[in-house]
Amino acid sequence: MTNLPKLLIIDDDAHLRESLAEVLDLDGFECHQAGDAKDGIAAAQALEPQVVIMDIQLPDSSGFQICQELRKRSKTVILIMMTGRFLSSEEKKQGFELGADEYITKPFDLAELSARIKQLLSRNAPRG
Amino acid sequence: MPTKRRGKLAYKILFWFLLISLAPMGFVGWHLVTISQQSLRKETLAMQESLAVGFADTAQKYVTTFRNVLTETASLEDFVSMNPIKQQQYLNRILQIHLAVLELSVLNDKGVEVLRVGRFLGPNPEMRDLHQEDLFQVAMGPRGQYIGRLERFQGLYPTVTVSVPILDTRAQPAKPVGVLAARISLNPLSTMLAMEFPATGNSQAAVVSADGFLIAHSDPKQIYRPDARMPDGVLKVITTQSSDRGGGELPLADGKRLLAAYAQTRDLGWIVYVQQPIEAAYQSSEEMKSQIAKVLVWVVLATILLSLAVAGHITQPIRMLKDAADRLGKGQFEDLPELVTTNDEIGDLAQTFLGMSESLKEKTGELIHAKQELEKFTKFLEKRVDARTRELKAAQDELIKKERLAAIGQMASVVGHEIRNPLAVINNSIYFIKTKLSTGQEPDPKIAKHIKIIESEIQQANGIINEILTYSRQREMQVERVKLNHWLEELLSVYPFPAHIVVDKSFDPRDATLDIDATEMQQAIRNLIGNGIEVMPPPKGGRVIVRTAVAEPGWVEIDVGDTGAGIPQDVLDKIFAPFFTTKARGTGLGLAVVRKVIDRHKGRVDVESQVGVGTTFKLFLPTAA
Repeated sequence: MTNLPKLLIIDDDAHLRESLAEVLDLDGFECHQAGDAKDGIAAAQALEPQVVIMDIQLPDSSGFQICQELRKRSKTVILIMMTGRFLSSEEKKQGFELGADEYITKPFDLAELSARIKQLLSRNAPRG
Repeated sequence: MPTKRRGKLAYKILFWFLLISLAPMGFVGWHLVTISQQSLRKETLAMQESLAVGFADTAQKYVTTFRNVLTETASLEDFVSMNPIKQQQYLNRILQIHLAVLELSVLNDKGVEVLRVGRFLGPNPEMRDLHQEDLFQVAMGPRGQYIGRLERFQGLYPTVTVSVPILDTRAQPAKPVGVLAARISLNPLSTMLAMEFPATGNSQAAVVSADGFLIAHSDPKQIYRPDARMPDGVLKVITTQSSDRGGGELPLADGKRLLAAYAQTRDLGWIVYVQQPIEAAYQSSEEMKSQIAKVLVWVVLATILLSLAVAGHITQPIRMLKDAADRLGKGQFEDLPELVTTNDEIGDLAQTFLGMSESLKEKTGELIHAKQELEKFTKFLEKRVDARTRELKAAQDELIKKERLAAIGQMASVVGHEIRNPLAVINNSIYFIKTKLSTGQEPDPKIAKHIKIIESEIQQANGIINEILTYSRQREMQVERVKLNHWLEELLSVYPFPAHIVVDKSFDPRDATLDIDATEMQQAIRNLIGNGIEVMPPPKGGRVIVRTAVAEPGWVEIDVGDTGAGIPQDVLDKIFAPFFTTKARGTGLGLAVVRKVIDRHKGRVDVESQVGVGTTFKLFLPTAA
């Protein structure tokens, strides 16, 4: 078993989650994937990832619902919302209230994303 | 035409007036004339008869007078004595006194003449034996007198012989001793007839004996003819009448008609015959008729004139009423003709008419006023409707534009979102490849170059999607109050102007305060500046002119100009339409965004461009209250 941080990507677009997973794999994450909300929640339960990156729009549920669900289970998990469209301030505010930590808009600046995740993880990591 | 109709009523009145008044008058007049004529004709006939009777009496008296002279003479004592000398004296005397007596004879009781005197006898005339003659026999007989023996003296004058007995009254009974006879001229009768019945035309009068002997005639020429007789036709009629007098109309062979009358003498057996042409006889009746006809003509003329006057009098006020009504009909309420107000139905009508015209005038005035009001109101309404129509049109245009933009936005949003996913995948993949390559040996520089190209194209594609999504985004405005000059200054200071561009600022010192969504407005100004820079490529470059002005109270003007190639007029109209572009690469949304932003700020965009000189966009924005 490695000590790499576990990262779960929930998106219905297989190419997107695979490409994202492999890029982040390179950056030193242990990436897992789920195609819908149901699988995603199940995977999160089983794997207990430190980071979950999820699309706001999923075939069986809204990303915010998963976000809410996952936040209930863990206060520390880092929840990053992906979106392909503009979000209004109201939507963003609502997301943050439900437990989201960050928003990213497609296409992503991957270097920036990786750095951001690492920065967030470093906060959660036990100090000392 | 009013003139044609005028007077029609008058003619009608005239017609009925004449019909009513003249027809009965004519009928009665005709009847009266006929009756009068008939009675006049009867009268004429009666007069004719009485003339005949009168003359019969005259003739009778004429003869009787001479008989009386003879009777008186014969009863003289000297005469009875039959003394010839004495007798001769008496006879001469008679001849002297009575010119009509032509001859006198004394016959003895044997019927022989014993004495004979006459106007045309010689000194010793022949003594005739006349005892066979009627003049002796009848005179000696019981009748005692004789009147007869009509003959023509010397073939010319008609004469009658009268004889009376000479009675010796000394013997009882009286014994005739002779006869005194006289031959008397009847010419005086003709003279009298001529005086009493002047012979004119067919008028004539005659005395004839029962056997047709012409005793006297109004025309002396008839008498002096040897064979003087009345026409047989006439004679036959008058001698076969049973009555001793009579008369009637007598048709002649030539078709003319005569009015004839006859009368018999009392005991001479003569007939007096009077005739005159019917025209002459009825002259008075015809005169009466013509007189009546004249009177009738005058009456008709007078009636017509009277009727005309009456009809004129009756219709004159009606005509005036009609004139007045005509004027009223033409809407001339003033200067109505003076209406006669007589104290009758026409007067009432005139009064009613005046009342009506007053009321009509009033009502028409009200109507005209109402019409004017209505016209005013209609104009007002039309203006309102026009204005509203324009507003509606504008609103509709706006709505259509909004709907179109919304549709475009919706589509752009979907497309953008859907493209972002593959774009993200490409981006991830190229990042993966780049990372992998960098960890190995030095990569082929061409691969590195192409990776850069892909990254750049991803950026550009993303930029386009962002632009489209920004334009179509239904975003709440976030208004804040800014000082225009300061705000612009800041914007320009951070704008990355290239080196070949000169910025020319000119701000109105009356710094305006605006309520704007700074993000959107910044986007608009940046788009305009960006466009300006793009049309002035290096090495030539050019100037970007940014200037503000207080256009009019409540409004501020922001001009963004360039010194580029300018925009042709036919293109100028389309530049604000979304997706219109003249660039090789561009969404055509830059100016559409400007228009949208300015619209959202209730402002206005104008553009002025001159080919070869440059283009200036003028933004007009309301200042903060």
